[in-house]
Amino acid sequence: MAGLELKQLRKSYGKVEVIKGVDLSIEHGEFVVFVGPSGCGKSTLLRMIAGLEDITGGELVIGDKVVNAVEPRDRGIAMVFQSYALYPHMTVYDNVGFGLKLARTPKAVRDQKIRDAARILQMEHLLDRKPSQLSGGQRQRVAIGRAIVRQPEVFLFDEPLSNLDAALRVDMRMEISKLHNDLDATMIYVTHDQVEAMTLADKIVVLDGGVVQQVGSPIELYKHPANLFVAGFIGSPKMNFVAVNADKVSGDTVNVSGPDVVGVPVALPAGKVRPGDKLTLGVRPHDLVVATSGAIVGRVGLVERLGNETIVNLELPSGASWLAVLDGDQALKRGESLALDVDPAKALLFDANGLAVAAA
Amino acid sequence: MSASTMAGTPNRAETRAIKRSPYPGWFFTPAAIIYSVLFLVPTFASLYFSLTRWTLFDSEFIGLENFAQFLREPFLIKGLVNTVIYAAVTSGLKVVVGLLLAVMLTSQIVGRGYLRSVIFFPVLVSTVGVGITFTVLMHPTQGMINETLALFGIAGPGWLTDPNLALYSVALVDVWKGVGLATVIYIAGLVAIPQDYYEAARIDGATPWQNFWYVTLPLCRPATSTVITLSFIGGLRTFDLIWAMTKGGPGFASDTIASVIYKQYQAGFYGLSTAGNVVLFILIALLVVPLTMFLNRKQGHE
Amino acid sequence: MKKRTSILGGAAAIAATFVVFVIPFIFIILMAFKDRQQSALRDFSWPTGFHFWENVVEVVKTRNWMMITAFINSSIITVVSVTLLVIFAAMVGYVLARRKTRWNGLIEFLVLAGLMVPPAVVPTIWLLQGLKLFGTLHGMILIEVAYNLPFSIILYRAFVATIPRDLDEAAIIDGARPLDVFFRVVLPLLWPVTVTNIVVQSVGIFNDFTNPLYYLPGNANATVQLTLYNFQSQFSTAYNLLFTNILLITIPPLLVFMFFNRQIVAGMTAGAVKG
Repeated sequence: MAGLELKQLRKSYGKVEVIKGVDLSIEHGEFVVFVGPSGCGKSTLLRMIAGLEDITGGELVIGDKVVNAVEPRDRGIAMVFQSYALYPHMTVYDNVGFGLKLARTPKAVRDQKIRDAARILQMEHLLDRKPSQLSGGQRQRVAIGRAIVRQPEVFLFDEPLSNLDAALRVDMRMEISKLHNDLDATMIYVTHDQVEAMTLADKIVVLDGGVVQQVGSPIELYKHPANLFVAGFIGSPKMNFVAVNADKVSGDTVNVSGPDVVGVPVALPAGKVRPGDKLTLGVRPHDLVVATSGAIVGRVGLVERLGNETIVNLELPSGASWLAVLDGDQALKRGESLALDVDPAKALLFDANGLAVAAA
Repeated sequence: MSASTMAGTPNRAETRAIKRSPYPGWFFTPAAIIYSVLFLVPTFASLYFSLTRWTLFDSEFIGLENFAQFLREPFLIKGLVNTVIYAAVTSGLKVVVGLLLAVMLTSQIVGRGYLRSVIFFPVLVSTVGVGITFTVLMHPTQGMINETLALFGIAGPGWLTDPNLALYSVALVDVWKGVGLATVIYIAGLVAIPQDYYEAARIDGATPWQNFWYVTLPLCRPATSTVITLSFIGGLRTFDLIWAMTKGGPGFASDTIASVIYKQYQAGFYGLSTAGNVVLFILIALLVVPLTMFLNRKQGHE
Repeated sequence: MKKRTSILGGAAAIAATFVVFVIPFIFIILMAFKDRQQSALRDFSWPTGFHFWENVVEVVKTRNWMMITAFINSSIITVVSVTLLVIFAAMVGYVLARRKTRWNGLIEFLVLAGLMVPPAVVPTIWLLQGLKLFGTLHGMILIEVAYNLPFSIILYRAFVATIPRDLDEAAIIDGARPLDVFFRVVLPLLWPVTVTNIVVQSVGIFNDFTNPLYYLPGNANATVQLTLYNFQSQFSTAYNLLFTNILLITIPPLLVFMFFNRQIVAGMTAGAVKG
């Protein structure tokens, strides 16, 4: 049984601090996804867990052992690389079996384990080939096979699907998900693709600037982002933002107005904001609906009609532009005026520091 | 060991973690020992011994006397001048001829494989063998070159016996032997030029000559700087070909610093010989460092 | 039209290079087949009789089979020093390319210095005498290693830089210790540049004349290049034998050229362009 505990984990290169004190606990069997824009430190954090990067400060516990100074091979981990990192001079069989060979596993046992892994991944027919003779998807399988044979407590994935084409990516995503169910192992998965994060994760860790922005289940993050960064990062298309002031606080509703919006009601418990507070209103494109006289009025810009939905680019009076995803096919014309409304329960408010003004 | 006891000594764990590298530093050791003992130590020792009168067993400090002698004795000055001439002539010719041959060999000419092999092969042949062969071929009366010239009614010169010509004759043989290397370096540089540039130039209506002048020449500058640097350093240090062909003669007409170093060594003037080494080192530093800086500065524009 | 010019141009180039580059070699071969009298003319003529074999025997027997000793010595020097060069340079090139420390600048400077700075000959002799290595094959081998390390290191470092670091890391995760990473993962992938190194360095060391001249005096440890040089005065009237000797020592590089043409060219240009 191996969970992980990250306590104030830090990493600096010289004077530049790239991981600024990460606290995180991961339970055994969890599928955790590190997500964030490039350069946010997610890969560095993964490599610190793997033991490929030294830990500058803090403590890393895998199972019940502090492993800061433990060699990668003794950490009970396996890793799948973005580039697959298959040894070009070895066959698939030898690639998968390399770790076992280094551990001096008896030949018969080794053979059995390699064939088991190959069976799980349906690549028995590839065992005699060299990596250069494989397709991208096949290489990916071999890389995963190499991880499986080590029977690690923790699987680490570093953007494993980013080199595959879109269709294959969906297949492999499902396969990794299935693998997680079958193997009952902890998996930590790094990606910049939030769809992968949303579909795979039990728990998403959003990182930015070497700091954990929010930890939670995918839906929690979607519905209750902790701050502007998470709100903007999770969800596609991106959440719309606009600067507003609170004008009327009554019971569990706050009305906010700004240069672009007038009197948008937001559901919020009493006492969280006071009239006159400077806030940011955030609304997901999917939460906007057409209204005859709505709180948000703008001019229609680019319209993408997809049949089942219509994506509208709305130019607001201040020059800002919002995206709205409307149900069904809407015959909108460029330049015409459009009024939209927001469900008070789905609108979000953020304070001057960018932190969410909690709804509940 | 439980987590709590380990947590109690975080500092030790951290320093251990920082020291660990998968790339062992001791991999440098064997090479470093051999290189330091057999190359660096003598090089630094030469700085001292060049200031002495030296018999290998004991040395007498005489200050800059050896260097003064180098600048006083006409034949030593001659060697200095010859070295620079030799390096300039050989590297200049290798650049020009090498580039022309490379342009020819990357064009659609027939017999490319044969041409490439034939031009390159002399690079691999023993310098002494080449030197002896050309000494025979360049004999003023019985050499094949002059006998052939005589067939056309031309009186060939004393290639290696004319004091004004000997150095250049050796340089020519050096180019004969070494131009193959310059050519293959240029070929590597030329094939690395994307074909797009030539297609763009063709659409712009460039003539072949303009192609060469405005596309090929600027874009193979890295190869040019490599050829110049390599053959210039090689030219300054050259010894074996000169020794095999003229031994610095006639007189001191084709002496270079490297042959002077050997002659002084043979004569037992170890301090003077070592001073020659230091002079050669200084000469290389003075000429090659600015040269490479100049060549690389130009490269920076790409 | 274009095709005709290329054929004409090709023919002209072939003729010109034949005269300049091939005729000297044909001259060597013809001379090696002649008897002493005819070779004394030093002209470009067909041998009057086939004397190659007796020339070879005579050359080889000269000075108490010195040629054989020389070939053995040259082979030992070449094989051992190239082996050491390959191992040591691969180790340095690998760590130099992979590990960034504040020493890298110094090491790279020393490597470049090694390519440029002429060896200080007499102090080296003095040092070799102190180490009791002067005039020995051991000393010669170490000298060849020291002088040729920089070039090999540059070749290896440039090649290691093209091998993705992910492979090292995958191996480390797989449980490889530092030596496993090098010997089982990286070294096998260095094979192409190792072949290049072997070929280029063995030709260079086999053909080296200057260093044996200084550091291997005397007949006991003569190399083939020294032997040829010494025979130049001994055979001053026997050009057939002199050229037979030249022909014999040209055979090893010729064989290397025929089998490893591509690697030589690749190595010399790669090392040169990057260095």
